[in-house]
Amino acid sequence: MKDSAPPTLDEWLIRAGAGDPAGLAALVHAHQRAVYSLALRMLGTREAAEDLAQEVFMELSSKLGSIESNAHLSFWLRRVTTHRAIDQLRRRSRFEMTSLEAQEDLLASPEEFQDPVLQRSLRTLLATLSPPARAVLLLRYQEDLDPVDIAKTLDMSVNTVKSHLKRSLDTLRQGLPGAAPDLREMRSDE
Amino acid sequence: MSEDLDARLRDALRPVAPRSELTEALIARLGGNQNLNAGHEPGGRHDGKDAAPAIAAPVSRVPPTRRLQRPVWWLPLGLAASLLLAVGIQGAHEREQREKGMEARRQVFEALRVTNQKLDLVARAVREESKS
Repeated sequence: MKDSAPPTLDEWLIRAGAGDPAGLAALVHAHQRAVYSLALRMLGTREAAEDLAQEVFMELSSKLGSIESNAHLSFWLRRVTTHRAIDQLRRRSRFEMTSLEAQEDLLASPEEFQDPVLQRSLRTLLATLSPPARAVLLLRYQEDLDPVDIAKTLDMSVNTVKSHLKRSLDTLRQGLPGAAPDLREMRSDE
Repeated sequence: MSEDLDARLRDALRPVAPRSELTEALIARLGGNQNLNAGHEPGGRHDGKDAAPAIAAPVSRVPPTRRLQRPVWWLPLGLAASLLLAVGIQGAHEREQREKGMEARRQVFEALRVTNQKLDLVARAVREESKS
């Protein structure tokens, strides 16, 4: 019975490193949502996100020998995706960055997430944030990383991460209904 | 409220699935790449330094001796043709120079002949004047 248990991601990683295509396919299935979503929300268009996701996974196939575990793999994928996206955004003009607001599938689908006000505010916020600040917000709320892990991923200090997060949340709250009472409530909580 | 906003943001920023075509294309591309890598280093794990040459492996499988043998048959022919061409050009050049030399010599003789005639005329005129 023990032999019939499905392999863990760490085992798939070892298989992929040994040249088993099924191992790589399993890793793609496990991590493609995170990589694609990070790329999409950083770059703003599906085409650019798909290109970046392919680029990242192709690089992974040649770096498998240096990946030690599935946790390490997640870290590596987030790091490469965000850094590549930031580099791309820095090469773009400001006009191109506003395409984020127009992208339909940027956020969770309306069936899963019914909060049009937050949707609108979040789209606007993502479109106006600097690339590193956008990466911080996504790593915090999409990937659920704490500031220390975000700092390691993006090669910045923990204080910078916290500062980006605070500014982003303040901006977001200002765009939401009842912003002032909520801020007062937050301060009294602290 | 802060925790509520955190939860709402996590909800809004849940990862979204890519198109199934992307997954298929990715796996197909990675499968091809993986097979090349596996052929280069069977059964072993590899790092980034090993992966790049794996793509170039089919080229390096061509036996080097065959690459060296291929020019042997045409190399002497090429050298001989070059030599013949050089000799031909040199011969034509020498012939041209010789013809130019002959022409110059002919012109010099002609000039001497004309000068000689003129001198004869002058000498004759001087003699006739001295007689008269």
